Amino acid sequence: MSLLSLDGVSRVYSTRRGLFGRPMPVRAVDHISFSVAPGRTLGIVGESGCGKSTTGRVALGIERPSDGGVLFNGVPMPPPGTPAWRKMRARLQLVNQDPLGAMDRRLTVAAQVEEPLEIHGIGDRSERRDRVAALLRDVGLRADLAQRHPHELSGGQRQRAVLARALATDPALLVADEPVSALDVSIQAQVINMLTDLQEARGIAMLFISHDLKVVRQVSHEVAVMYLGRIVEQGDPEAIFADPLHPYSRALVSAIPVPGPRRIERVVLTGDPPNPADRPSGCAFHPRCPVAVAACAATVPDLREAADGRLVACHLVDAA
Amino acid sequence: MATPLVSIRDLRVSFHGLPALRGIDLDVAPGEAVGLVGESGCGKSVTWLAALGLLPPTATVTGSVRLGSQELLAAPPAVLDHIRGGRIAMIFQDPASALNPVKRVGVQVAEALRLHRGMQGATAAAEVLRLFDQVGIPDAKRRVHIYPHEMSGGQNQRVMIAMALAGQPELLVADEPTTALDATIQAQILDLLRRLQQETGMALVLISHDLGVVAEMCRRVCVMYAGRIVEEAPSDELFAHPRHPYTCGLLAALPDMVGPKRRLEAIPGGVPEPWNMPPGCAFAPRCRHSTAACDAAMPGFVPVGPEHAAACIHVQSAALVAA
Amino acid sequence: MLRFVATRLGRALLTITLVVTFAFIVLRLSGDPALIIMSPDAPPEALVAFRQAWGLDEPIWLQYFKYFTAILQGELGQSFRDGRPAIELVAERIPATLTLTLPALALKVGLGIPAGIYAALHRNSMTDRVVMTFAVAGFTVPSFVLGLLLVLVFAVQLGWLPSGGQDVWRNVILPVIAMGLGGAGVLARFTRSAMLEVLGQPYIRTASAKGVPWGLVVRGHALPNAAIPTVTVVGFMVGSLMAGAVVVESVFSWPGVGRLMVVAVANRDLAVVQCVLLLVSATMVTSNLIVDLLYGVLDPRLRGSAPAGGGH
Repeated sequence: MSLLSLDGVSRVYSTRRGLFGRPMPVRAVDHISFSVAPGRTLGIVGESGCGKSTTGRVALGIERPSDGGVLFNGVPMPPPGTPAWRKMRARLQLVNQDPLGAMDRRLTVAAQVEEPLEIHGIGDRSERRDRVAALLRDVGLRADLAQRHPHELSGGQRQRAVLARALATDPALLVADEPVSALDVSIQAQVINMLTDLQEARGIAMLFISHDLKVVRQVSHEVAVMYLGRIVEQGDPEAIFADPLHPYSRALVSAIPVPGPRRIERVVLTGDPPNPADRPSGCAFHPRCPVAVAACAATVPDLREAADGRLVACHLVDAA
Repeated sequence: MATPLVSIRDLRVSFHGLPALRGIDLDVAPGEAVGLVGESGCGKSVTWLAALGLLPPTATVTGSVRLGSQELLAAPPAVLDHIRGGRIAMIFQDPASALNPVKRVGVQVAEALRLHRGMQGATAAAEVLRLFDQVGIPDAKRRVHIYPHEMSGGQNQRVMIAMALAGQPELLVADEPTTALDATIQAQILDLLRRLQQETGMALVLISHDLGVVAEMCRRVCVMYAGRIVEEAPSDELFAHPRHPYTCGLLAALPDMVGPKRRLEAIPGGVPEPWNMPPGCAFAPRCRHSTAACDAAMPGFVPVGPEHAAACIHVQSAALVAA
Repeated sequence: MLRFVATRLGRALLTITLVVTFAFIVLRLSGDPALIIMSPDAPPEALVAFRQAWGLDEPIWLQYFKYFTAILQGELGQSFRDGRPAIELVAERIPATLTLTLPALALKVGLGIPAGIYAALHRNSMTDRVVMTFAVAGFTVPSFVLGLLLVLVFAVQLGWLPSGGQDVWRNVILPVIAMGLGGAGVLARFTRSAMLEVLGQPYIRTASAKGVPWGLVVRGHALPNAAIPTVTVVGFMVGSLMAGAVVVESVFSWPGVGRLMVVAVANRDLAVVQCVLLLVSATMVTSNLIVDLLYGVLDPRLRGSAPAGGGH
């Protein structure tokens, strides 16, 4: 039974080019489907503009899909702003890249962690205080840091505080959008370990969005590779990172600089990722694809099951 | 090592009395690729900004930076202007903001040509086109006339590189050149830098927080921590046999791309604040091998192999050799 | 570009219309011109005759409509007071006002911008602090206080310069200083912070790193970029060339547009007030239009062209 499921979700924005350009639709997310089970992590990887953050916001219910449906606990996501939506939102929490931006600079750490408890009317004053102390302990923040303000904390400590706040309402799903990208390696490892520990202890499901494949491999049970709003490959992280089938995943995986000998020969793509507002015909990746054939420019490949059970959207990969 | 191109000795920088660099010794040989790795605030960028006199006047800089026989730290502005861009060029992390938003990119490259190679007018314009081609900017004829905001991040970094090449420098200092870029674009830029280094024979100093990037690009790597170099080794050797506990910790904290998944070994605690530096080894408070002796004095460099040295008093102890 | 200019022009006309309408409403609601011009004790027949003569007895919307169509035809009406065309009354005052405001503008720009640049380049130095202290003093002291002070010291105490009148060029000095110093202070502060902002940008470091000598970095890379926000403030000052002298003209008894306006408002001399407002708002709107167009020239990011590739 999945906790969150997206079924054929699209999100279309309307943007203008230039000051007086005609508004044109931009498909930030185009017909994607996935589901996340309790206690599991789905990693979403891709480059800027691929729609991974938009996917996160749709999953959180902050943005409505233009098309397709989102089910949380088997129930359709209520419209934003309604009481049902607010109640559900407490069960869905976001942690993003910039903890300082996510915090109120004037409030102490303890006050920020307590805030969601007050908003959702959880516990009385002393219960809340105990709960805040327990939450801070869970995320590994020393008790004396509770009375500090965000700017008096290091980057890693801030991210822990944001996490404590996110956990206050006992969420079932955590959307983590580049949660460790701004942190140094040694701190990043601390936060990643803490996230996986908390997931294990609390059975939280996670949508882990990142451009860093190494980090995604570390935390994910399943991974989806996105390119220009669509999922191009989805499945077991070990399989995908060891032997990517989609040419884009292959380029992405091979682009990761690693110390020591590499397993996959580097594929250096030419050109920049295209603009979502100016999407190539057929497979959006075909202009940069080293193995593209005529069919790639003509038709959009479906996401189909490949031999080992993973999903791949490429005309050149044989279906199972 | 052959006669070094650049030789840095006991370089120290402080801002308002707080130390940022606490004694750097570093040589760069002609044509070699050296990596500087470390976490934010370790001083890897400050080292080169100080060397080129690019720090704000609030910084106090002491020590020595020699380019050949020329001392840079006390050099008059006219001498520095000739060296910057002409003999040592530098590119930065965020190419979009590193280029002047109100000037056409071609003009910005031509400025370097005029300053360092006396080129003007049609000669300069032709050379700008050649440089754009060399750094792989497609449709160069049109692109020289556009503005930075009309280009992607990757293309802007190529413009920065073209600008750096304009002065035909002997050394290119690349400060986190791909950190702001997407993975596939990062691969393109690293590829380009590697190719250009071979073509031109210039030396490359690559500053990065990413151990993988440095490992791929550089023959020799220096690891920095809290304003000092703590380990220096050929890169293959460093990643296969790290010796300083900090280097070991960094590698253990990094998730792998291959092999069995393992729990990351985080380094406990955080980097010491500049106003709260430990008396001896700056890493001692986070180090599981530390003893009272670590706090007694700043550890000197201990040679542990050919071209390999680490600033740790326990580096010869059994526990660390095994690690 | 053409559409850009067209939209801006449309917006400018709308602004002027609103200003004129607003003035009409306020002036007509706040008192009966007949009572003020003729004095309240005037015989009722005289008042009625006055109202009839000037169309003041018609419904207010009709007055507005007539008035507005007249403006569109370039007919700005006659002064209630002496029956002369309002436009003539106003036009003959313009040179006097410009005699004060143009030199004052030159003083603001010529003193404020260099002082701001100098202060930014020598940040936290003694000179920076002195310049900024004067700048703050300059714009916190209201121009009429400064004007009165100048009159007291230079005209009354020292007797070097006259305190009023407009015959000799020496009469211009005190009012120009009184108006210019405050604006110079504002511009100095603004220019300084715009320069500091730009000097802290990564592209300034890039310019230094590629070997551009510091003087050239400042002239070639910092000044053009710092000019972008500064243009807004200068534009505002140009826009107030007509309206900026109301207070000082009164202090120095200067027969300019500002004084005409004060008198006309007191008399509910609608046509004259409208005419002045039209002039003032047209100046303001025109200078705003020029500022907007200048932005496009100075900053390619505002030209509204589509990104060539990538584009996030």
